[in-house]
Amino acid sequence: MHKFIPYVFKSLWRHRARTLLTVSGTAVALLVFCFIGGVQQGMLALTAGEDAGRTLIVFQENRFCPQSSRLPQDYESTIAKLPGVQAVAPIKVFTNNCRASLDAVVFQGIEPEKMKAWRDVNLESGNWNSFASQDDAALIGVDLAARRNLSVGDKFTIGDVSVLVQGVFRSTSAAENSLIYTHLDFLQRARGANDVGTVTQLEVHLTDSADPDAIAKQIDQEFRNGPVGTTTRTKGMFQADTLADLAELIGFVHWLGYACVGLVLSLVATTTVMSVQDRIKEHAVLQTLGLRPLLVLGLVLTESLLLSTLGGILGVAGSVLLLSSAGMSIAAEGVTIAFEPSLTLAIQGVLVAVVVGILAGLAPGWHASRTEIVSALRHA
Amino acid sequence: MPLVEVHNVVKEYANGEETIRPLDGVSLTVDQGDYVSLMGASGSGKSTLLNLIAGIDQATSGEIVVADTDITKLSRGKLADWRARHIGYVFQTHNLIPVLTAYENVELPLLLLPMSSAERRKRVGIAMEAVDLTSRASHYPRQMSGGQEQRVGIARAIVANPTVVVADEPTGSLDDETTEQILTLLSRINTELGMTLLMVTHDADAGSRARRKIRLERGRLLENGKPVSLVKGQTAQLHTA
Repeated sequence: MHKFIPYVFKSLWRHRARTLLTVSGTAVALLVFCFIGGVQQGMLALTAGEDAGRTLIVFQENRFCPQSSRLPQDYESTIAKLPGVQAVAPIKVFTNNCRASLDAVVFQGIEPEKMKAWRDVNLESGNWNSFASQDDAALIGVDLAARRNLSVGDKFTIGDVSVLVQGVFRSTSAAENSLIYTHLDFLQRARGANDVGTVTQLEVHLTDSADPDAIAKQIDQEFRNGPVGTTTRTKGMFQADTLADLAELIGFVHWLGYACVGLVLSLVATTTVMSVQDRIKEHAVLQTLGLRPLLVLGLVLTESLLLSTLGGILGVAGSVLLLSSAGMSIAAEGVTIAFEPSLTLAIQGVLVAVVVGILAGLAPGWHASRTEIVSALRHA
Repeated sequence: MPLVEVHNVVKEYANGEETIRPLDGVSLTVDQGDYVSLMGASGSGKSTLLNLIAGIDQATSGEIVVADTDITKLSRGKLADWRARHIGYVFQTHNLIPVLTAYENVELPLLLLPMSSAERRKRVGIAMEAVDLTSRASHYPRQMSGGQEQRVGIARAIVANPTVVVADEPTGSLDDETTEQILTLLSRINTELGMTLLMVTHDADAGSRARRKIRLERGRLLENGKPVSLVKGQTAQLHTA
């Protein structure tokens, strides 16, 4: 079989326009497929991440948008005393857009020491001390910095909130790379806001042996008769609930991913069928020379496999490049989903292309291998 | 012992509700080193007989033994292997692979045989030299004349040193001068290389170059105007549709 590989390449190059169009069409479809996969992966990372099940988020009862959740900050000390609770961080969230948006900016005001201890971030530029010591200082995620073209020393204003960039960080959690961290009290005192003493949410870290559901119930019970009722969920569940509408949309969009696979299948199959129809006589000549029908099937399969795989590799490479360089994300209600590339997604994309290539070549290859030699030789 | 033995071969095919039987109980033998021309009117079944002997068509009944192998009993895959080893086929319309050079076209049959690349190079070189086209080895079919293409086709047919070379109207699409060159080349292949050659032609002049001239006439295989004498005393019969 390998001795005929040059023939396969030359056959593909014979109709180079058709080949290039098929490869580029496959590449675009696989790019979309992987892009959709990247969105789903970002969603999954939020709801099934490492700390999604071991960290609790306390939010105001029956509220969804961070602008409308106003919890007394002193709830922190009450919660911190509960058994099983390791530490509590009050967080003020500010966003320029509560609805789903591709360019939402989300500020999280948090005490610098807790931010340093709890967030797995590395400063790519800037200085931690400058951030910790300056009231209006902000640390900006790399993806947001790239989108908004921000660097250390820049002043950045959204609405009434104006911060000075003192660092650009990269987090192990892709969603955080689109966040802005500021001091908690700065965000509480921001112009136009009068939120001293209130926070948007409380982030509760648990001990290893604690039961998250039991503690969540206990917290809500504790404040049932307080000035503001609470809804406490694990971080994963909080994010899933917050993004429920978006999750539904993303769930629907994954059908578009399957449609892309179908598109590649029909595209490569059409090209392969055309190629086989063009060469009915040629395949008969090859069989006359002694090529086994199975070898003819193999040649056709190799052609469709090459078309699909080459397009798949280009599409996957394009999507990985796009997802990793553009730092795209979508946010709703202050929660951000980052479009994440990954090795698993890349391998999945290439495998889909390989399988589709084989499927697309099966019928035309079988037809080519079963053609009656004598009648095919008479073919014009 | 004959190299090719055709025993009582019948070939039928359906044309709508009608059954066409181009060969009806044909028998024939061909010896090693023979040069046989098979002539007859259009539709007489001469190409069908040639294709059956070449193993690219299946007889409805009967037996075809080539080099001690009854090819009517072989599966499609085994028949393909058998063709690669035993048959060199010269087509009327050359049928070269357009994306391959002359060299690569000639090399094709050797890719199916267990052979080193050095051995392949050597054999292709000999075959190209035999048809006097060494200088055109890197040319594509579209860059060659019809005669040159046919010579490449002949080189491809002989390169694997097959048991039988079959040629189906090898000069049918050529001008007189090129026809003469091709017929001379085929004669040389038979006399100088000792290859057994079976050629279908409707051209009496081309047919006369062969040592044995078999004609399909009035439903019979005739050799030199007399019915072909056959193995086991049978008489060859061929019925036109």
